Amino acid sequence: MAVKPMTGQAFFVLTALADGPRHGYGIVREVADLSQGRVKLKIGSLYGVLDRLAADGLVEPDREEAHDGRLRRYYRLTRDGRDALAEEADLRAATARVVRTRLGLAGGEAAG
Amino acid sequence: MNIDGPDLEDRYRRVLRLLPRYYRAIWEEDMVAALLDSRMTGDEDEDEYVLEFGRPAWPEVASVVALAARLYLGGVGAPRRYLAWGQAVRGAVLALLLTHAIWGLSAILLVARSHRLLGWLPPTPAAGGIWLTVWYTGGYSWIVVFVALVLRRYGVARAFAGLAVAAALAIVLQGQLAGELVSPFASWSYLVLMDFIPVAAMAAFHQDAPPVPRRAWLLALPAGYLLVNVPWLTLQLTGNAAWLPDNFGLCCLLVALACLAHAPRAWSSRAGTGTWSLALALLAVVVGLERLTSLSFYPNNPHLARVGLAELLIMVAAAALVAPDAVRAPAAMPAPPSRPRLR
Repeated sequence: MAVKPMTGQAFFVLTALADGPRHGYGIVREVADLSQGRVKLKIGSLYGVLDRLAADGLVEPDREEAHDGRLRRYYRLTRDGRDALAEEADLRAATARVVRTRLGLAGGEAAG
Repeated sequence: MNIDGPDLEDRYRRVLRLLPRYYRAIWEEDMVAALLDSRMTGDEDEDEYVLEFGRPAWPEVASVVALAARLYLGGVGAPRRYLAWGQAVRGAVLALLLTHAIWGLSAILLVARSHRLLGWLPPTPAAGGIWLTVWYTGGYSWIVVFVALVLRRYGVARAFAGLAVAAALAIVLQGQLAGELVSPFASWSYLVLMDFIPVAAMAAFHQDAPPVPRRAWLLALPAGYLLVNVPWLTLQLTGNAAWLPDNFGLCCLLVALACLAHAPRAWSSRAGTGTWSLALALLAVVVGLERLTSLSFYPNNPHLARVGLAELLIMVAAAALVAPDAVRAPAAMPAPPSRPRLR
């Protein structure tokens, strides 16, 4: 079966969880930081992505904590999630190197 | 909780009621917490005010509406009835867009004839003007929309669908303002039923939707053109145009033919999931409403109005043959794979 390509939003959400568990709004903030404000996840979009990532076994609940009378659920990467994120990061890095090479920028692939 | 009335949390919960029940059971508490977190500023007085009097922001509401549309139309992990609706809506949308795309091909032929590029066909009068250009642009756009949807290029399909609908809206609006519409009611109804609704229903083509059979749908475009437009053109060129149904009648007859062709399968013991019957039933509803509203084009021609009603009745009778299969479709879909439990 063909592997589904990872969307940009899924990539950012997985990256936001790479250094430890986060709750829903924590993910939104981290994605905004990671993308330097270019990706502003709405809550409907976030939970659409989280739902899909959970169904694919890439994220899972970590714990629940009470905060201001509400329960915050934290999420973490699964082992499959780490692998998928690493694979996607490699792919994007390779693509970025090709782009830099073709644009004649520093950091591209060395000419052979 | 504000004892005098709903507070921000209640308002968010009302918005989240748009989501399917199964989804809320898993995610609602978490979503409410995240939505409220997103409104907190850290200033105690301001936060208290927001919690009591704040209202959900429109972009957040829109994101929940978009999520709800995707889930009701067979998003990941959805119950089988939503998967069935999603599949049926995708089939009906593709069928409607196919008719638009076939008319788009006809527009290309008209332009070719007006430029005498098809020497063996009599040329059509060379017409010009901005509104004709807009009309052709809309026609060509539908071809791109249809092909892009089949090829899962959903972003491209949505962009061109926006262009096609904008062109159709501009033409109807211009006709309305210039007082040129024969029946404003019928023209606006057509715009809503045949343009706006299929484009809105393109929400069923989401990331989790399974691919449609590409080859069959792509072949349907030239095949549909040959089977519909060539006989149409032949009757026109041989002076037998009086036998031609109007576009709305033609749609009724095509849906009726599709229902008749599908009926043996719908009634057989090896019937599938019933989603095709459901798609045909959806098509019959949209096309039937369109046929009814378009009768207002013939206020002074009872003969054509009777012909239109006959076309509608033929389609309703044919759709009745697949209706029982359509009714069982939401329960006949295979159960989706089980998903990890989050709560």
